[in-house]
Amino acid sequence: MGKTITLTVNGVTHEASVEPRMLLVDLIRDKLHLTGTHIGCVSGKCGACTILLNGISVKSCMIFAIQADGADIVTIEGIAKGDKLHPIQEAFRDNHGLQCGFCTPGMVISAYQLLKKNPDPTDDEIKKGITGNLCRCTGYTNIIKSVKDAAKRMKEGEK
Amino acid sequence: MNKKWVGTDVKRKQDARLLTGQGTYVDDVQLPGMLYCSYLRSPYAHARIKKIDTSKAVKLPGVVTVLTGEDIKGYPLPTCIDQPGQKSVDGLVFPMAVNKVRWAGEPVAAVAAVDRYISEDALELIDVEYEPLPVVVDIEKAMEKNAPLLYEELGDNILVRIPATFGDIDKAFNEADHIISERLYEQRYSGFPLEARCTIANYKSADKKLEIWTSTQGPFQARSYISRVLNIPEQNIRVIVPDVGGAFGNKWVWGDDIVPCLFSIMTGKPVKWTENRMEAFMASPHSRDYIYDVQVACKNDGKILGVKSNMIANYGAEAANRGPGAGPVVAAGFSLLGPYKVNALSIDHIGVLTNKSFYGAYRGYGKDMANRVLERMINIMSRELAIPPEEIRRKNYIQPNEYPYRQLSGSLYDSGNLPELQRRTLEMMDYDNLKKDKERLRKEGKYIGIGIAAKVEPSGGIPTNAFYAGYEGVSVKITSEGGIILAHGLVDIGQGTESTLTQVVADELGVTPDDIRAIIGDTDMTPCGAGPFSSRGASWTTSCTVNACQKLREKLLKVGANLLKVKLEEVDIANGKVYLKKTPSKSLTIRDIARAAHYFPGVYAAYPADMLAEDASLEVTTYYTAPQPPVSWVPPICFYTTHATAFEGAIVEVDPDTGILKIKKYFTTHDCGKVINHMIVDGQIHGGTLQGIAGAMYEELQYDENGQLLTTTFMDYLMPTAAEAVDIQIDRIETPSPFTPLGTKGAGEGAICATPSVIVNAVEDALGVTVKRTPLTPERVLSLVKEAKQKKTI
Repeated sequence: MGKTITLTVNGVTHEASVEPRMLLVDLIRDKLHLTGTHIGCVSGKCGACTILLNGISVKSCMIFAIQADGADIVTIEGIAKGDKLHPIQEAFRDNHGLQCGFCTPGMVISAYQLLKKNPDPTDDEIKKGITGNLCRCTGYTNIIKSVKDAAKRMKEGEK
Repeated sequence: MNKKWVGTDVKRKQDARLLTGQGTYVDDVQLPGMLYCSYLRSPYAHARIKKIDTSKAVKLPGVVTVLTGEDIKGYPLPTCIDQPGQKSVDGLVFPMAVNKVRWAGEPVAAVAAVDRYISEDALELIDVEYEPLPVVVDIEKAMEKNAPLLYEELGDNILVRIPATFGDIDKAFNEADHIISERLYEQRYSGFPLEARCTIANYKSADKKLEIWTSTQGPFQARSYISRVLNIPEQNIRVIVPDVGGAFGNKWVWGDDIVPCLFSIMTGKPVKWTENRMEAFMASPHSRDYIYDVQVACKNDGKILGVKSNMIANYGAEAANRGPGAGPVVAAGFSLLGPYKVNALSIDHIGVLTNKSFYGAYRGYGKDMANRVLERMINIMSRELAIPPEEIRRKNYIQPNEYPYRQLSGSLYDSGNLPELQRRTLEMMDYDNLKKDKERLRKEGKYIGIGIAAKVEPSGGIPTNAFYAGYEGVSVKITSEGGIILAHGLVDIGQGTESTLTQVVADELGVTPDDIRAIIGDTDMTPCGAGPFSSRGASWTTSCTVNACQKLREKLLKVGANLLKVKLEEVDIANGKVYLKKTPSKSLTIRDIARAAHYFPGVYAAYPADMLAEDASLEVTTYYTAPQPPVSWVPPICFYTTHATAFEGAIVEVDPDTGILKIKKYFTTHDCGKVINHMIVDGQIHGGTLQGIAGAMYEELQYDENGQLLTTTFMDYLMPTAAEAVDIQIDRIETPSPFTPLGTKGAGEGAICATPSVIVNAVEDALGVTVKRTPLTPERVLSLVKEAKQKKTI
């Protein structure tokens, strides 16, 4: 039987009837139609479903939708400001930090979380910060470069 | 013509879409009334199916229908590649097991239900009674006389065997000063793109039309295959491929797409199947897993006279009817000599059947196996002959002035300069000083290994007698308002061709990439194409695009000259305009010409008479196939169109106490001819290199003796994370291919081919003992350290 929950996603408040066993990622993708959050393993290993839940990055395949009752969520669709890409997204584009793009939304969210906590990370700190997100295409070389460049852009943006 | 865009690192068109969550992967698509298909897969590796009871599953609310192997035995899967020396299993392979299962993970039943949760619940309500059969997973045991047979009808477990000899092999071995022999093994691993397979089938009975959304690298091959299996006229099938979340050769199989199609035909509703991660490990194409038993005949100075290669690959339960898996041992055979001049070669390459998941393509497709043979053997020779490995290579290279070079096994190499690639890489590594450092550090108890390897990367391969034969088609069209559309069959699986091919068009038509949109991934909307396999984009599709654009350019010039009322010789095209050479200010934009050709004054006034009679359009479609196409699988043949090259090296530190390897730095000098976009080629090198390192050090599909796969999650199958990323330094030379109009060559698979050779060579260099199998896990490295201490090589 469904239970009604209320949650805010990218600034919009939604009410949804969810079965207790429904995963948060399925609610986001199938009911709210925000398909930028991807599913790569449904076991918390690949990070393609990473979102921000109450300001903290989490893997949305590891949480039941019902646990997100009252939560404030940001998905990849909420990172850019209209047509203006976020500096992290710009940095990924300019440094070829993505190929097939499937891991990318989760990767951008993890980078967002990392740079919020550590605005000037070293390469090793970047590697550690995105270690929960698998990418099969890039060998991570250009992802690390992108995050580094994003940090620089964000710092310059503050000036 | 001045190339403004080819060779420029233009940012990719698709990135804004993919970065903001606006990409569309198949699983993102929801169609009204859609049902969800789930497969029940066999827990046994080899068993007879005694009985399947689906009665409880059918009664579960939300379940629409259930199918088992018995229900679909009218739909056998057809041979995908037919080679000489290959046995046929036609009529024995089905989308779901009939009578018996041959690997743990083979589908035995499927459910269609209103949502995925219910669909998976219903699987638990299906009762299957199995009678277990003896299991064989080991390559050598599968070759034994009394081995359990995968297909009793074949008489043994050998699916493919191609022996071939080139040159005088006996003479080579008689004249040799040394015969260096080794028997080595590389483990089973595969691509596993982050987006697993996903398919939606949508059948409309009134039109008898089947629309299929699927994540594949071969939309046209999917269409042919599904048409063949379901006996639906091919014109009634439309395959749509939106964004693809990686493929690496793995998404070139369609056996699991048949049941969703049948469900849709039965129910009249769209049906989605999304592979989960465990299914991907258990039941999508596997690769590698081969023994290579090699003998190299050589002189005292390291000159190689002849090579004998016996290779046996573990093809699992099947390799011929679900996809292209039958080919790799054969491709390994005719790619085996790489960049070396050798006058005698004998190969006996076998694909053997066992109770593991089926074999398919994974980046390399046998060219990786080919690389391993000589690049590993030269390292072993180097120790036995006490000649540095770089000297042995230098002594045996095909020289730059000898290209185009007909390799012994038939390949026609277009161009290359291996001595220069080697020189540059060794210089980048500071090789001579590095060797000294190594000796110094060794005295301090630190074990540094230097590994090197050369490679040839054949690309644009074209098998005959296969669904993968064919040609590449490209359309370039100018719409009535002057819009430029490029349509082709080369879907973008991450390699960026949605963007790079617009760079090619921009140069040819004198416009910018922003003026062009690419239409890909829809068999109803684009010309037929072989698609992105065998690193085809830079050889076939690029060449075809150039040809199409040159014809369109001629048309624009003719119509432009006609409208300007001048002779054809008097006009040229640049910056989006056809202009008078003498008075460039007198010009018409492409939009002016397009509008004139369509509306004012209209078709009859805009086109010159000859075009009006035959081809009054601003559209061109051209087709391309290999300039030296093979007509059979019997060597010597030239299977590939272009041959990129590279020389790679690595510095690896071995911790003798923990067995942990640390790659201190990786180097490559790469040559794929004229580069369209360096940023993208570098990206291919980065990704392929880490996949190669994963094969050398981390990933393995481990089966136990009962045929149970032990690595079914990312916790067990050690796909590298960012923590395993390596520092890669890339240098480049560009030796244009004389076979393609822009001098371009394919470059998608090279890095993965040589990297495992480089890493293993480095570990051997550090320890002085032979590495007989991979992956180089800490446990395995520790046993090598022990061996080295016993042999006093460290």
